[in-house]
Amino acid sequence: SGEVPGLLSILRRLKQAPEQEVRLLLLGLDNAGKTTVLKQLAAEDISHITPTQGFNIKSVQSAGFKLNVWDIGGQRKIRPYWRNYFENTDVLIYVIDSSDRKRFEETSLELAELLEEETLATVPLLIFANKQDLMTAAPASELAESLRLHTIRDRMWQVQACSALTAEGIQDGMTWVCRNIKFRKKP
Amino acid sequence: MGCFFSKKSKRKSPEKEERAPTTTSAETASTGNAVPLGNNSEEAPKQYSWDKREKVDPKDYMLTGLKDVTVGRLPGKLNGQQFVIQECENCNIYVFDHSATITIDDCVNCRIVLGPVKGSVFFRDCKDIKCVVACQQFRTRDCKKMEVFLCCATQPIIESSTGMKFGCFQYYYPELAFHFKDAGLSIFNNNWSNIHDFTPVSGETNWSLMPEDSPVLDFVPAPDPESDFKSVRVSADPARSIVPLTKGGRYKDSEESCLFVFFAGEYTTANARKLIDEATAKGFVLIQTKEVSMRPEDVKRVFQRDADDLTEWITKGPVIALEMNGDGVVEACKNIASEVFSGTKLFVSDNKNTSSQDVDNFFNFADMQMGL
Repeated sequence: SGEVPGLLSILRRLKQAPEQEVRLLLLGLDNAGKTTVLKQLAAEDISHITPTQGFNIKSVQSAGFKLNVWDIGGQRKIRPYWRNYFENTDVLIYVIDSSDRKRFEETSLELAELLEEETLATVPLLIFANKQDLMTAAPASELAESLRLHTIRDRMWQVQACSALTAEGIQDGMTWVCRNIKFRKKP
Repeated sequence: MGCFFSKKSKRKSPEKEERAPTTTSAETASTGNAVPLGNNSEEAPKQYSWDKREKVDPKDYMLTGLKDVTVGRLPGKLNGQQFVIQECENCNIYVFDHSATITIDDCVNCRIVLGPVKGSVFFRDCKDIKCVVACQQFRTRDCKKMEVFLCCATQPIIESSTGMKFGCFQYYYPELAFHFKDAGLSIFNNNWSNIHDFTPVSGETNWSLMPEDSPVLDFVPAPDPESDFKSVRVSADPARSIVPLTKGGRYKDSEESCLFVFFAGEYTTANARKLIDEATAKGFVLIQTKEVSMRPEDVKRVFQRDADDLTEWITKGPVIALEMNGDGVVEACKNIASEVFSGTKLFVSDNKNTSSQDVDNFFNFADMQMGL
């Protein structure tokens, strides 16, 4: 079984920036696997996950600072509420169901809109190309092309192939997150 | 949680330090020398299990554009893989195997059986569908007129859908019990009747419950004897359903309910089924069931007893809880417990004045436990 760093090991890495509150925001279409990613990060059971109706949050605290991971429901009807969670995001993690080819265009549009948001300007972007365990999953490189990620010029970005179900690839994604967190100055 | 930073991962390629974001072209990962998919990657790309596995044709896992036919998968032919159904019209579709996840898009006037799905079942842009489904998550978007006999481990959700009707999963074929196990689904965790609607309309209801005793085979017929699926001995007889029939959110006939809990052991599932048979034969009604793990600290709160034996029993594995309803159900269940199950580790409500509280204590606990 894959080793998942968990939120506490992210904290160890972040010890160089005490008194910080680090905020990770998980967005993506409904059924992308965001909550499964969140549960894996918290090393919790993933066999019984309900479709998210509002949001889920995991918080860990250690040695003077906090890490908050926000997982927001992705149904079309509630995407207008995503903007309520943008403020103070340190890394945006966008999760895609790589096997749902019918909705590649839809997720591409939603991501493009997010990248236009003033409140998310320059925020580093990790894209989890999730569900790679499934037979019809498009490889991460194909997704990167159809999302035209190479046109992103205003921020750091990375596409990480993963299977949240097995945790494969999750650790690698979080390694990138840690290295690219923009530390915000406390007001 | 494992070592997060190995020495290897700290290696940087000198020319990439402190670089402003630039474009990076993405080549296929399968070449092994692919450029990492990002604009500041510091290490060589990794090979994952999906890069190494045998390439398959996605079309083998899809049914697309079929009309007026009987299609699907026989037991053992899907074996836990993903399945995709799209643009089918007037088809009878039988997926008699367990799967990882199933999406159903742009289908019209189809009758569908989906064997146990480990993850989600997602219907989009479908109309006039009658189906039997077992899954961990049930989702719809932009659907119209569906009748669903459902076993769902979590709260089903609908979005922008109308005319949606739900009933309790009621189906049998010989391999079905194994398929439930393979998919990691419990026959006792079925939230078929409490639907969450993301787009409720004031003054209307987008969903409702089907009449009790709706005959499943009138909605989703058994496979044509001339078809490839004739070998699968299907039954929709309520007494044979792999998933116990529960009344769910429908109006309860009686104010008296009884909590019956079987603790983990060799025959827990068989015992639970036997209790259901014995009680329903006497005219009582099964409202709901749950299979859930308990911790020692839950025992006092749930059972309102300081019982040392209970605290020990819950450590052996998940418990199976049943709510039976009807006038006189508590006495009847206590009699069944002593006559049929003497020696079995179980809890049964003691009297009808406190039994409703027993039921609430347990199922409120279970709901909290099984939410996030």
